Amino acid sequence: MKNATKSWLSRLWIIVVAALLVEIISLVQYKRIRGVMEEETEVRAYIVLGAIAAEIGHMMELTEATMSENLWEVRRNLGQPDSLFPAMKRLIDDNPHVVGGCISFVPGHSPSRERLFEPYAYKWGGKIKTMQLAGPDHDYTQNPSFRAVAETGVPSWSDPYLYGRDSLFNLTTFSYPVLDGNGEIAAVCGLDIDISWLGDTLVARQHFPSSFGLLLTRDGKLVVAPPADRTAPEKVEQVMQLISEGKMLSADGKTVIHRVRMNRDPYWQVVEVYDTEEVYEGMHNVWRKQIGFILLGLAILFFMIERFAHNEKELRKATEKQARIDGELAVARNIQQEMLPKTFPAGISGHLEPALEVGGDLYDFYRRDGKLFFCIGDVSGKGVPAAMLMSVLHSLFRLISGKEESPSKILKALNRQLCESNESNMFVTFFVGCLDLYTGKLRYSNAGHDKPFLLPGSGASLLPAKANMPLGVFTDTEFKEQSLTIEPGSGIFLYTDGLTEAKNARRQAFGREHVQEILNSCIKEGCTSAESTVAAVSEAAHAFEAGAPQADDLTILLIKYEPGELLRVSITLINDKDEAEKLGPFLKDFLSKLELDRKTAGGLRLALEEAVVNVIYYAYPEGETGDVTVYAESDRSEVRFTVVDSGMPFDPTAVLSADTTLDAQNRPIGGLGIHLVRKLTDSVSYSRKDGKNVLILTKSII
Amino acid sequence: MKTTIQEIDGKLVATLSGELDTAASQETQEALQPLLNSEGKDIVIDCTELEYIASSGLRIFLSILKQAKSVGSRVVLKNVNEVVRDVLELTGFVSIFEFE
Repeated sequence: MKNATKSWLSRLWIIVVAALLVEIISLVQYKRIRGVMEEETEVRAYIVLGAIAAEIGHMMELTEATMSENLWEVRRNLGQPDSLFPAMKRLIDDNPHVVGGCISFVPGHSPSRERLFEPYAYKWGGKIKTMQLAGPDHDYTQNPSFRAVAETGVPSWSDPYLYGRDSLFNLTTFSYPVLDGNGEIAAVCGLDIDISWLGDTLVARQHFPSSFGLLLTRDGKLVVAPPADRTAPEKVEQVMQLISEGKMLSADGKTVIHRVRMNRDPYWQVVEVYDTEEVYEGMHNVWRKQIGFILLGLAILFFMIERFAHNEKELRKATEKQARIDGELAVARNIQQEMLPKTFPAGISGHLEPALEVGGDLYDFYRRDGKLFFCIGDVSGKGVPAAMLMSVLHSLFRLISGKEESPSKILKALNRQLCESNESNMFVTFFVGCLDLYTGKLRYSNAGHDKPFLLPGSGASLLPAKANMPLGVFTDTEFKEQSLTIEPGSGIFLYTDGLTEAKNARRQAFGREHVQEILNSCIKEGCTSAESTVAAVSEAAHAFEAGAPQADDLTILLIKYEPGELLRVSITLINDKDEAEKLGPFLKDFLSKLELDRKTAGGLRLALEEAVVNVIYYAYPEGETGDVTVYAESDRSEVRFTVVDSGMPFDPTAVLSADTTLDAQNRPIGGLGIHLVRKLTDSVSYSRKDGKNVLILTKSII
Repeated sequence: MKTTIQEIDGKLVATLSGELDTAASQETQEALQPLLNSEGKDIVIDCTELEYIASSGLRIFLSILKQAKSVGSRVVLKNVNEVVRDVLELTGFVSIFEFE
């Protein structure tokens, strides 16, 4: 968990650092582009302003040319007031920019009777009209332009001014000295030029809604401003204040001023003002959006990485878990396979193939007291739960059958155990058999399992086995026990329904008849070994499935009764001490037939003698006559002694062995007999059956 | 089962011949009775011809040994054959008897 948080944090850090980097790069780029744009805007502003200034200059040059080219006519008519009017008409007609013109006579040079005389021509409604302007209410000598020119003789351009009767025009006047024949300044000729277009141009050339143009005089006096409805007068005032302070940028950096001064008289200044926020708003918006998109992208990226990391982790966890389960299942499978008998004596063959890693089928067999105990079972369901129950059953079978040889009692005990703790309601079909290898007597009991086949030489037939109830269903189920004696060479073929219900791709079952046919053909062809018969049947089942997945656990157990040359003798003695004498010859005779070495024969003889003497001496109360029967049997691989008496119930196996480590003084005289019996045989088992004590000793002689 | 007792060089030498099984044990025990009164003499049990011994025979051996030890004499088993020696080993008698 700690690691998970750590890696989550480190991923978050990477994303945050990436975001910061991207933001920084983006900001630097924004600043750089803005710088380029500022330069570009400035250059463009100067180009525009320069063009306007040049246009004004050009217009002025034209006007000056008009003046110089046409003034001669005015000069010629200086003395003839009436002739001056047509001369003025022609003068102003020559230039489309000129809207009017006047001759203002220097007092003393007036050709009329009046001191002041000022003939004036102007364009009106497509015609040129004339009039004399000077009068009591119009003293042009007060006009500074006039005075400057009249006194200095230097031509000059007036500052723009508003003039008009019906509508106002922006005018500027070019004043030029007119010399008389004596070379004195007799008058000043003025040409009025309409520069109203300049205001329109200053507005029209703007690129942004709130930017505006201004026209200032040489001294910085404002003469043309945008209309109040377009630009607030306060704004203009603020800009004028900045200009007067010589600043080109407002304190907040939002207002930028570009100014171009004409390169000739009258050195007017054209100004352009714009709002940086407006100019760069678009770019700023793009930048902001871009940052937003990048952050969003990173967030999505982070989310995706998290998802990916999470998924990967889940996947890895799932894979690890699966690997662990697989490993555990493999171990479970091994454990389960280990439980099965690993070595098969001649005549016995088993085959178990789980459909999944582990299965719910089991079989087992083992030899005890010259009897072969065997079972086959099928736990309902398959997989791990079935396998666990199977393991329990296997252990219980060994435990119970180790003390009990009646198949029906074994089943009853198994059933009771199973019912006690069967909360998952599983049930088990089970078949238990006990084959006496010396007599061929088969005792068996069936708990709902498929009937095994009996394989005598004549052909396979079903063993008549009452089905009974499966294990794990009812606690008090009674199991019927059956028995029959089978001939040497016969076999018992047990299987689970995984064999008869093996399915092919068309969902058809292999079937019991099919199994029977194969068993019969095996008998006919003389399949001698149990192993080859089991292999033939399982191979036939797989061939039938033809690659279709195995649906259920498949288990086969074949037990052939193939005893060697059987040797069987018995003797009955009464509980008299002298009767013990008969035992020596009886045993010597039996053992001599087995051709044993002296040591083995001696050991066997001693074991039996000790067991029988024990009965003769202690089984019956003092003075009571009883008998003891001894069966000595061998199939040449094992010797089995069975000692049966009708005395008091007495289990010699429960008696403690003598302590053979004590010194001579502390040794008890008795207790050696049972110790020797144990030491000299492979197994000693006691049971009380039909009111008799039955003691069985076995010893392998191979 | 044949049993003889001789005194040779101050030792009581019992010679056992045949099979000392349960049936023969009572008879043998009676025959070996003199050994229980050894009067300090060492005892030698010659097993050269002893072919078989059951726990009843071992019991006789043990009673002789206990008696002899109580009077400070030794008991030696002589020429024990394989079968008999096995039984002595299985019962731990090898550690309490002396062998020759």
